[in-house]
Amino acid sequence: MSPLQKMAAIILCVTFVLMVLATILVPAPYDRQFRDVPNAGPSTAHPLGTDGLGRDSLSRLLYGTRVSLLLAPAAALLSTLVAALLGSAAGFLGGWFERVVLAVTDLSLALPWLFLLLTVRAMLPLDVPPMVSVIIAFLMMGLLGWQASVRVICAAARGVKDSDFLLLARSSGCKPARLLLRHVVPNLRPLFYAQFWISIPLFILTEANLSILGLGVMEPMPSWGNLLRGFEDFPAVAANPLRLVPLILLVIVVMCFQLVLPSQEVTQ
Amino acid sequence: MLQEGLGSYYFHYLSALAHGDFGESDSLKRPVRELLRQRLPVTGNSVVRGLGVAWLVAALVASAGLASRGWLYEASNTAFSSLLLSLPSAVVAMLAVHLRIPVFCAISVVVFPRLHRYIRSLLVRSYDQPHVLAARARGLGSGAILRRHVLPVAAPPLLALVGVSFAIAFGAAIPIEALCDSPGLGQLAWQAALSRDLPLIVNVTFVVCLVMLAANSLADLAGRAFTGSTQ
Repeated sequence: MSPLQKMAAIILCVTFVLMVLATILVPAPYDRQFRDVPNAGPSTAHPLGTDGLGRDSLSRLLYGTRVSLLLAPAAALLSTLVAALLGSAAGFLGGWFERVVLAVTDLSLALPWLFLLLTVRAMLPLDVPPMVSVIIAFLMMGLLGWQASVRVICAAARGVKDSDFLLLARSSGCKPARLLLRHVVPNLRPLFYAQFWISIPLFILTEANLSILGLGVMEPMPSWGNLLRGFEDFPAVAANPLRLVPLILLVIVVMCFQLVLPSQEVTQ
Repeated sequence: MLQEGLGSYYFHYLSALAHGDFGESDSLKRPVRELLRQRLPVTGNSVVRGLGVAWLVAALVASAGLASRGWLYEASNTAFSSLLLSLPSAVVAMLAVHLRIPVFCAISVVVFPRLHRYIRSLLVRSYDQPHVLAARARGLGSGAILRRHVLPVAAPPLLALVGVSFAIAFGAAIPIEALCDSPGLGQLAWQAALSRDLPLIVNVTFVVCLVMLAANSLADLAGRAFTGSTQ
């Protein structure tokens, strides 16, 4: 690990600790309105000031970090699981199954991802409780975000398929299921980790985009995307530059995730 | 229409589509065909111009880095492009609104870092090939090396990247057009998703799919023609 990667890992760890300690650290619940001080600047009671509805910005930032940093890795885990299952089975079994999986992958990769997400979101109800909107965002990203990983995993599984140890296992009478689970999947594990790590920053950005467009996490639940919506009110940002903190935190965390990624040879 | 179930909706949609009927938008109460005809040129225009700028800048910056290869230049380049990569495209759109930057520039800001990273690694890899070293040992100028020894190797993946960059640009067009209030396909898709207008969004997605297919096939054909002509 280079010093830069170590620093990125430390920043990520600190962010995660802050996220876990959110309930102890926050000055107020994220949806409590201090109606006499809307759009306030930083003070001892509200270190980052308050938003247009008088809600404490620091509390919303900490809770929003919690939502975003749980949502993205959870969705990445789900999509990597789907990709691992489909990719290794397709590469290992070959034949028509591989052709079908790769055709579906190519088809959905041909479409910009955001269009796909928007189409699916349009079929689901919009006026849902905030918690349900988080779950919808999680399922959408997790179940629709596996295409790029499937291709990589499928290609690697195809490589493992022709290896000597698999020939040996097959000649000693291993069933296909056991071959897949005991011999193919463990060999692809570094690839699964790599795909998982790559997906996290991607999903953080996607959640931000969806929430800014009003299709992700719903108010009053804070998330990084929701907090960035306050950025649209430019005079308020100019009056209180601390409103940029969510954006800066998001950029730093995404950059750190990109930095601590496993080396390029594994990911390509 | 959804009450009949997704399957039958899809069947009716396909049979109408086969007759050239795109249906009517639920929320805007206008024929989808008319909406698409109005909106597609707007997005097409900003996507093509945005891609043009992004490709030009990315190619220039990537090749300039190859010529000098100073660590400061490289580090600042990497830092800048990963900063741009870490910005959600919706934030780029908001910045574009405040700074009064045209839509196509915002699109090129989103596309540029992705292109730059790929083009750079591609060029670095092609320059490290032994035949380039041999050409340099024979005393060829850097222009001749680039034209005759690097570009022929790097061209097919670069042409494939043209197809991919269209997908990136169209994806970026959704938040950018929505927030910059540019009446294009991206904004239409966003409005359709917000008002849950299924006939509209399905058709918009269909048209975008066709555009992507055309772009990717053209890039593929160009790549094949290129490898055919050099062999």
